[in-house]
Amino acid sequence: MAPFDLVHPRSTDEALAELRAASPERVAVLAGGTDLLLDIDRARIAPHRVVSLRYLPWKFLEWSGDSLTIGSTLPLRALEVEPRVRQRIPGLWEAVRAVGSVALRHRATLGGNLVRSAPASDLSPILLALDAEVEVVGPQGSRWTPVDAFLSASRRPRLSFGELVRAVRIPEARPSAYHWQRVRPVNDISQVGVAVARSPSEGYYRIAVGDVLPRPVRILPAEEALRSRPPTDDEVRSAAELVGKLSPFATDRRGTEEYRRHIVAVLARRALLAIRTAAPRGPAP
Amino acid sequence: MTTAPFFTVNGTSVDLSPVPGSERLLDTLRWRLGLKGTKEGCRTGDCGACTVLVDRASVLSCLTLAHEVAGSEVTTIEGLAAEDVGARIVQSFADEGASQCGYCTPGFVMALASLLHERGAAGDLAEFEEDLQGNLCRCTGYVSIRRASQRAREAVR
Repeated sequence: MAPFDLVHPRSTDEALAELRAASPERVAVLAGGTDLLLDIDRARIAPHRVVSLRYLPWKFLEWSGDSLTIGSTLPLRALEVEPRVRQRIPGLWEAVRAVGSVALRHRATLGGNLVRSAPASDLSPILLALDAEVEVVGPQGSRWTPVDAFLSASRRPRLSFGELVRAVRIPEARPSAYHWQRVRPVNDISQVGVAVARSPSEGYYRIAVGDVLPRPVRILPAEEALRSRPPTDDEVRSAAELVGKLSPFATDRRGTEEYRRHIVAVLARRALLAIRTAAPRGPAP
Repeated sequence: MTTAPFFTVNGTSVDLSPVPGSERLLDTLRWRLGLKGTKEGCRTGDCGACTVLVDRASVLSCLTLAHEVAGSEVTTIEGLAAEDVGARIVQSFADEGASQCGYCTPGFVMALASLLHERGAAGDLAEFEEDLQGNLCRCTGYVSIRRASQRAREAVR
């Protein structure tokens, strides 16, 4: 592996200054490192300087009524073992459990996963289904942007050079589910991932798929097929078929397009049935 | 830097000043400190053979930079047997013959130690076993490892 300098800024301002001091192609930002270090090891990128976020105070998890804000460098395992996450946003818990292994989740972070923007991320679909928002900090201060607007192309989120992701906010705890298919259950990349959520306040559904190019997306016609409250069996079946038909799958070494279309419809139906009549769980903290 | 560049490994302080920023914890342990009990398997985070404890939580030392755990307590298989939970796990693996070539064993033992530190014998058995799926073994077929893990879990109850 090519050597690099590792720097440890102690504040947001210091971190932003470290970024500005380097040229974009020569600097990388390190959160948990479980994905970044692979890319460096395989010489896909060769930064001269790596800016670690370790000492920034971003490892937090804050409930405010029904809304949850997650610091970008909080290890995924901390999210997973927080009982209220599992009770109140079950789809997020399922998606977090789908990432790597326990030992990987002790280091891997939500912010890192979003910024690295793998098309096969297990976390992007559930964040889309939950209408999550991303806080970006930069020289101009802080801004919040919907995950849908943050995700752009494979490995390239809408993040300007010199900006960092500080937090992710889930505006509302929702009955939700994340179902996936892989060759091996753990430490493998999903062939298909589908996240669903239902807004308890408004009643609408969100359906988002991963392992699609160029980035995970919502399937709006499938969401619109769920007209009744709660949706009928026929509506659920139609929505699942639309997910299979409309998801922008491709064939790659992990699976064929045909296989993915078939499986995603099966998983979408199961996931929708799982949340169709689920009551929002647990009291507001 | 206000934090002195050192960590402890199995209770002994290690100066990280000579360690390059880009060095992985795995390489520091094996090649700088000679702690060869921690194995290098895939070096991509897939196999769990390099698992060590950082502040009692399992991490993949192949995907962790040494300087990222400055100020922490690192425990490797060489130091684990000195503590109570570690000794019980090692004994359980021996009792069940849960090791053939042995390459995956230190990683399994460390992953198990992390889980038992975290929640003891509390929680669902199926979930506990899911949490051990991050470690690969190519010899045993896992049956003896499952038995050993359950035995260790019972032993800390």
